[in-house]
Amino acid sequence: MTARTTARAESAGLHIENLVVRFGGVTAVNHLTMHAPIGSVTGLIGPNGAGKTTTFNACSGANSPSEGKITFDGHDLSGAPASARAKFGIGRTFQRIELYDSLTVAENVALGREARLAGVSPITQLIPRRGERAAIAKATEEAMAQCGITEVAKARAGRLSTGQRRLVELARALAGDFRLLLLDEPSSGLDATESDAFTTLLKSVVAELGIGILIVEHDMTVISGLCDYAYVLDFGQLLFEGLPNDVLTSDLVRKAYLGTEDLGIHAPDDEIVEANA
Amino acid sequence: MDVWLPFIVVGITAGAVYGLAGVGLVLTYRTSGVFNFAHGALATAGAYLFFELWVKNDVPWFLAAVISVLIVGVLFGFVLERVARRLAKAAPSVIVVATVGLLLIIQGITSKRYGAETITIDSFLPTETFEVSVNVGYNQLIIVLVGIVIAVGLGLLLSRTRIGIAMRGVVDDSDLMELTGLDGAAVRRLAWMIGGSVAVISGILLAPIVGLDPIRLTYLVVQAFGAAAIGRFRSLPWTFVGGLIIGVVAAIGQKLESEHTSLAGLPSSVPFFALFGVLLLVGKRGLPTAAPVRRQQPEHFAPLPLPIRAGAGIALGVVVIFLPNLVDARLAVYTSACGLAIMFLSLSLLVKMSAQVSLCHAAFVAVGAVAFSRLSTEANLPWFLALLGAGLITVPLGLIVALPAVRLAGIYLALATFAFGLLMENLIYRKSFMFPQGGTRDAPRPDIPGVGLANDKQYFYVAVAILAAVIVLVLILQRSRLGRLLRALADSPLALSTYGTGTTTTLMLLFAISAFFAGIAGGVIAVGNGAAGPGGLGSLQSLLWVAVIAITGMNLVRSSILAALALVVLPSYLADLDADYQAIGFGVLAILASLITASGFDPVTWIKDNLAGSSRVGTKGPIPQRGADAGWRRASSSRKAPAPAREEAPELAMSGGDR
Amino acid sequence: MSSADVRLILELRGVTSGYGEKTVVRNLSLTLPAGGSLAVLGPNGAGKTTFLKTCSGLLKATSGQVLIDGQDVTRKSTHDRVKAGLCHIPDPRGIFPSLTVKENLILQAPRGGASAAIEKAAAAFPRLGQRLTQTAGTMSGGEQQMLAVARSYIQNPKVVLLDEVSMGLAPNLVDEIFTFLATLKDTGVALIVVEQFVHRALALSDSVVVIARGTIRLSGRSDEFGEDEIFDAYAGTAPQGASAHV
Repeated sequence: MTARTTARAESAGLHIENLVVRFGGVTAVNHLTMHAPIGSVTGLIGPNGAGKTTTFNACSGANSPSEGKITFDGHDLSGAPASARAKFGIGRTFQRIELYDSLTVAENVALGREARLAGVSPITQLIPRRGERAAIAKATEEAMAQCGITEVAKARAGRLSTGQRRLVELARALAGDFRLLLLDEPSSGLDATESDAFTTLLKSVVAELGIGILIVEHDMTVISGLCDYAYVLDFGQLLFEGLPNDVLTSDLVRKAYLGTEDLGIHAPDDEIVEANA
Repeated sequence: MDVWLPFIVVGITAGAVYGLAGVGLVLTYRTSGVFNFAHGALATAGAYLFFELWVKNDVPWFLAAVISVLIVGVLFGFVLERVARRLAKAAPSVIVVATVGLLLIIQGITSKRYGAETITIDSFLPTETFEVSVNVGYNQLIIVLVGIVIAVGLGLLLSRTRIGIAMRGVVDDSDLMELTGLDGAAVRRLAWMIGGSVAVISGILLAPIVGLDPIRLTYLVVQAFGAAAIGRFRSLPWTFVGGLIIGVVAAIGQKLESEHTSLAGLPSSVPFFALFGVLLLVGKRGLPTAAPVRRQQPEHFAPLPLPIRAGAGIALGVVVIFLPNLVDARLAVYTSACGLAIMFLSLSLLVKMSAQVSLCHAAFVAVGAVAFSRLSTEANLPWFLALLGAGLITVPLGLIVALPAVRLAGIYLALATFAFGLLMENLIYRKSFMFPQGGTRDAPRPDIPGVGLANDKQYFYVAVAILAAVIVLVLILQRSRLGRLLRALADSPLALSTYGTGTTTTLMLLFAISAFFAGIAGGVIAVGNGAAGPGGLGSLQSLLWVAVIAITGMNLVRSSILAALALVVLPSYLADLDADYQAIGFGVLAILASLITASGFDPVTWIKDNLAGSSRVGTKGPIPQRGADAGWRRASSSRKAPAPAREEAPELAMSGGDR
Repeated sequence: MSSADVRLILELRGVTSGYGEKTVVRNLSLTLPAGGSLAVLGPNGAGKTTFLKTCSGLLKATSGQVLIDGQDVTRKSTHDRVKAGLCHIPDPRGIFPSLTVKENLILQAPRGGASAAIEKAAAAFPRLGQRLTQTAGTMSGGEQQMLAVARSYIQNPKVVLLDEVSMGLAPNLVDEIFTFLATLKDTGVALIVVEQFVHRALALSDSVVVIARGTIRLSGRSDEFGEDEIFDAYAGTAPQGASAHV
């Protein structure tokens, strides 16, 4: 443990401890421990089928851990519905972009804040509290300016290009005033230029707003250009963690990506085969 | 035991037919993903054709049956596959509308040609009986045997033959079917032809039992739904068994019903209990998953300039004020259009604004009508309070229907609400607290202070005023926070809940509000008719309403008023147009509308892009098209500094790739 | 392999394709001679699967041409391309999970050749022969993949497209499948191998392309590149457009 990692462990943010996720007999994530602090960008990478998305979904509430604990700023997230996670301050984007396609860009971004304010009570869903309208309008304007989409504010989200839709999704998350954003492969569907610009934008967002980001990404260029720290998964286990440059130069990571199998980790498939034989 | 046996024999006979109908339904649903609400209508069409050939033209019954199966079953199957292919990825409401359109057409044609009365036809099968501790008719035996033979035959086809195996496989993965070198469309076409043929056979077998009746035979689809639910919309053998169970339980219920009047309506409710129960118990995870859905984009017309709008509003007001003098005897039609427009507004909140489906709106209206009647005549509440109370009393009903909406989605929600509507119609309507013996209740007109009971003209103005108030409320709702949440819910429930909204609450509020307005509509309509009665509030009426609202556009208010006018006012001006032609017309339009919707064709966008080049409507600035990315990102992304002017953008533009 | 009289079993000319408005493969051209084999490598999301789907017709090219054995199939349906000699083993598993192993094999077989197909599959993968009546979806991942790959033998294709057949499998099973593929290749069937295990893919192929963000970043003979060059192409640090004709 370097001094840096120790310091990270003490700060607030998302803590994953000994996470195990099983589907049927298959262990998709096996005893994973990691930490995504506020104020920096944490990467989660690995080859296809490594368990990245499973981990991500456990954080966002799309699936539930078989063992282990996920906490955010001390709140236990196990079993909390999606809306409760938003209340604690965790926002997310989707690999398959989920915008409100028939609404305008401005309405989409505004709903990033308004959906959170509406909450689960019928009263708050019906009647906004005093001052909320102004807060929503201000957050919307700022988030759209930050992401550079003010000029398409009145266009319907469904008619935009993939690149613009990624920006709208980010703006919506920023308007929500979350402390930590989970970004699920935000560069997918973007070409190299768009992807670079998106990376630049994310960096400026973290620098200016001081929020934390946990990013799942396939693209090594995005990871090396953006992350402060990265975790590498393979076959559901933590293969490596460290600074992006260490990740890129690590023999273990290189082998995992290029598919050298002899890593001392066995595919879950083994157990089933033996059971069936 | 001997007392029960005859009922069980009758039950097994009917159950074999239900099972067959269910098997055909499941076969087509599983291979195409399109749930055919017109499955019973296919049976109707086949049975009438059989009647035409056999009874009217003396074709031998066997030949008549074969011809009916070939023409209706095979031909319709062929056509339906082509329609279904275009609908497979459409929203469930679109599928409902299209298949209900077909149902309306078949019902309209048959009742136009043969009348709406039940025609009894003799059994073409021998009716002599034999005895095995109970008398069994040979016709009953043959029906059961035919059912078993077809069910087993289909089972063998699906398990033993290459094409049958392909039919089962195409459900798993249509792309993979192509990769194995089989034409997926051809496989599905065969499934539709078989499904259609089986429907026709079940219709022909059922016709001598229940008689020829366009409505009653169409209802066969309900028994088929129940059977399919027991087979979990998946298993053909279990679906057939499900049909038998429904038949037997309903027959036993019939015996009980004859002994205990409190159980009236129970036998005919059995399939709905099966459907509603299985859907709620199993939930969406236990059912075959629906295809991803593409949603219709609502219109985004720019509002016309204020003077024009104000002028149009004033003109409309003047027309409404003088309408009673202009239309004389037709005033009652306009009055009931007001009530219907309120109902359509309530339905639009669900169907258009929130992308939910409700096929039980007639039940809401019926409950509202009864509540109004009893509050004003029995509780002696003032007229307006009684109307308000009618709305409030309907709210719990809306909350009950919201439960399936929380647990189910898509076509299963549509089915659950349909089952609920049928349950209400068969079990609740005839209870003494609703419409005793199917009778009506008084629905008095309001007392106008200083005038006394309102006359036709005065009540028309009252109805218009209530409609106007509801329109204002709906517009407020649309612009409110809940309105935004609902529109967001329609597009992406996943995103909405991820961003912190409890979508269960949102759905509950939606159904409560919709039911409230439907209850008000029930009161207004009842008073317009002079009485609250179950007539015109059957569950098929709910289907018709959903079909009509689907073809009048996406704007809530305008489409609701248009739908009401099209449904009651228009026919009163077309003397030749009877209800059957009207149904056929709506049916054709409904199918066309859903095909256009499913094709992703957006007429408004098309007009904007092709015709209205200079006058861009909808947005102030240029609408950025996909692929035209230049200039979408600005240089600096500081929150404090406002964005630089547009001209700078291209320098920092990202290219959209090699487009 | 540059001579003009080589029979090309598969050819793509400037193919662009994607999903709806989203372009994934951009202006891609390559050729595969009869009996040749090509490894397609690249990071996830690079467009490898889209490339294969465009070859087999599950996705239609928005521009460019696809030729199988000299015949332009750009507008042909997938099942017609299969008849023209193409076999695509998709990822995830190319099987019908709710059908039994035997039923899967019956569907894979040419019309009337069911029993021969079952024999062939059992010969190639004895494990499948023992499980004919088992529901395919309940088998282990490796067995499911064997069943999927069996199609490349049963259908008698001219060219086989393999999409990540080793995904999530234990090494011994991957060995078994790759041994089978090597045998298949020796019988003169052309292969396109999309693979995460770079070494295995290179060992099986004559030539290689690395795709990133829908365009070819690196191409050449399989023995031409070292691990480092390929990893650099993955990570985006390779010189763009370093290429030779495949």
